[in-house]
Amino acid sequence: MLNLFFPALVFIWQQAPGGRMSDVSNSITHPDISKFLVIGALLFIIGVAGVLTRRNIIVIFMSIELILNAANINFIAFSRYLQDTGNANAVAGQVFTVFIIVVAAAEAAIGLGIVIALYRNKETIWVDEIDLLKW
Amino acid sequence: MNLSLALQIQNVSPDVNLLLILPELIVCTAGVIVMMVDAFARPRQRWMTGGLALVGLVAAMAASFWMWSGWAGPREAFHGMIVLDELRLGFTFIALLVSALTVLVSMVWVEGENLPAGEFHSLLLFATSGMMLMASGGDLVIIFLGLEILSIATYVMAGFRRTDLRSNESSLKYFILGSFSSAFLLYGIALVYGATATRTGLAGTTNIAEIANRLDVSLYPPLLFAGAAMMLVGFGFKIATAPFHVWTPDVYEGAPTPVTAFMAAGPKAAGFASFLRVFVFGFPFVATVASVQGQIHAAWLGALVVLAIITMTIGNVGAIVQNNVKRMLAYSSIAHAGYALVGFVAAGATGDPVFKSEALSSVAFYMLTYAVMNLGAFAVVTLIARSGDRRTDFEDYNGIGFQSPGLAFTLSLFMLSLLGLPLTAGFMGKIMVFRAALNAGYYSLVVIAVLNTAISAYYYLRLIIVMFFRERTTSWSAPRVPASVIVVLIITVLGVFYLGLFPNRVLDAFKTRPPAVMATR
Repeated sequence: MLNLFFPALVFIWQQAPGGRMSDVSNSITHPDISKFLVIGALLFIIGVAGVLTRRNIIVIFMSIELILNAANINFIAFSRYLQDTGNANAVAGQVFTVFIIVVAAAEAAIGLGIVIALYRNKETIWVDEIDLLKW
Repeated sequence: MNLSLALQIQNVSPDVNLLLILPELIVCTAGVIVMMVDAFARPRQRWMTGGLALVGLVAAMAASFWMWSGWAGPREAFHGMIVLDELRLGFTFIALLVSALTVLVSMVWVEGENLPAGEFHSLLLFATSGMMLMASGGDLVIIFLGLEILSIATYVMAGFRRTDLRSNESSLKYFILGSFSSAFLLYGIALVYGATATRTGLAGTTNIAEIANRLDVSLYPPLLFAGAAMMLVGFGFKIATAPFHVWTPDVYEGAPTPVTAFMAAGPKAAGFASFLRVFVFGFPFVATVASVQGQIHAAWLGALVVLAIITMTIGNVGAIVQNNVKRMLAYSSIAHAGYALVGFVAAGATGDPVFKSEALSSVAFYMLTYAVMNLGAFAVVTLIARSGDRRTDFEDYNGIGFQSPGLAFTLSLFMLSLLGLPLTAGFMGKIMVFRAALNAGYYSLVVIAVLNTAISAYYYLRLIIVMFFRERTTSWSAPRVPASVIVVLIITVLGVFYLGLFPNRVLDAFKTRPPAVMATR
């Protein structure tokens, strides 16, 4: 039953050293850096796959945001981890994240503006139909 | 821990030195002023914006010349975020020159197309400040911010003819692939940031000089490899190297012609500036191949050799089959990125400061020559294309050689220079890049590059033949050449001959001067 509803929990249970409950709860409440890097990498892969396979411009934009957020998670994870290991100066990553968020907002505004300009001329947001320029 | 954090923060001085970013500040201020003038001036007075933009660019150029000739102060500021060296100054000069020539080309064009001139010129100035920051950034944060300032302004400029579907499409494609590549670059930066935490307890860094120090004491060497590879892909998109070049022809064809001129010369040069700085200085050559640093260096250098070869080949072969002049020039710009990569490989392959500075200056010189001849060629293409960029096919150039000899001869000169005929700038640029590669021992790479130059003769000479030896079947009236475009053509023609005949002064200025020489000046 647990297998059906909480596969991730069961996975952690099996992976935890010795398989004891305290280790499981410990790895949930105090996950180490690798968990965050894996989440970042998964987001990155989902984003790249989305950009390459999706045909709706808005979905492509969202996929690009996913990649940016994957980088954000990595920055924050590294920064926090290095602070926890005793280096108080490791705030560069968090500062970088703020820059990325600002840039992502600006990019989203410009991108939507471009889509609106395009939609006024040719009522579509499907990239397959935007095929005026090709060799 | 909180107390120690507070103490550390207190001990850090901000290290502000506004003089060191004076050219960037001037260009940004000019951009804001242009925007304000455009907002508050009466419609009749809006023509001023182009002149104001030019004044700002010339002032920034004067500031950078001042920094070039007699700078005695510190060579970096903001804790290494901004650096001052000949690499930066050279590429700053290229950015300002490209921008000034683009303003001159677009002054009359923007009025003729009924486009908002003030917006165009302020976007151009902001893009220029982004390019300059990319050249001056000694930290990945600044390089990323400069890249985004440049890219966001350029996305808008590519789609500037809002009612034209081709312009919309070009802008959209540029936006999607541009932000995709920025995201790759960012992910690479994140990995490098984490990987440069050291075993000795230092936190991760984004400072390029620091990264170079920490390669061998990195906590996670595999992440360094992954991060460097991602950054290579990100920069590869920006400068349009071959597997990542697919956006280039579409974007260059669809964008308004003066914007294409700007995009082919400016952002590419700026991309090379930060690409060079990150890889040549951040992952530098080391004699011990077995170390982490040696392995990373060998990996990126090998990748770049392959990229250079396929970039040159795909660019030249792709240009042969084009029927649109803008598209042909787009493929030619891919090929030229490949030639510049040859010099890049030479700069990365050596640890000797003299050879390295020669190779770096050869890449900067190459981008300068390319910018000069490319802007000249696109100025003529803009005139012939007329309003709405309607006449950009090879057929539109049939037989115009004897009806409009001035334009045809200047365009032919630029084509010959792009091909690399002796006495022209293109020849000297190629010689410098190839010589640097020969010094570094890349003989086969140079042979492939020379063969590619031979291929490129086909499509450059084709345009000349079309202009002079084809009969024209449709009627054609010579376009009126505005004074500002005449200025551009004079500057670029003189530049082509000057750089082709007397390159030494410029090359010496682009070379890294040893500190002792600086002190005695």
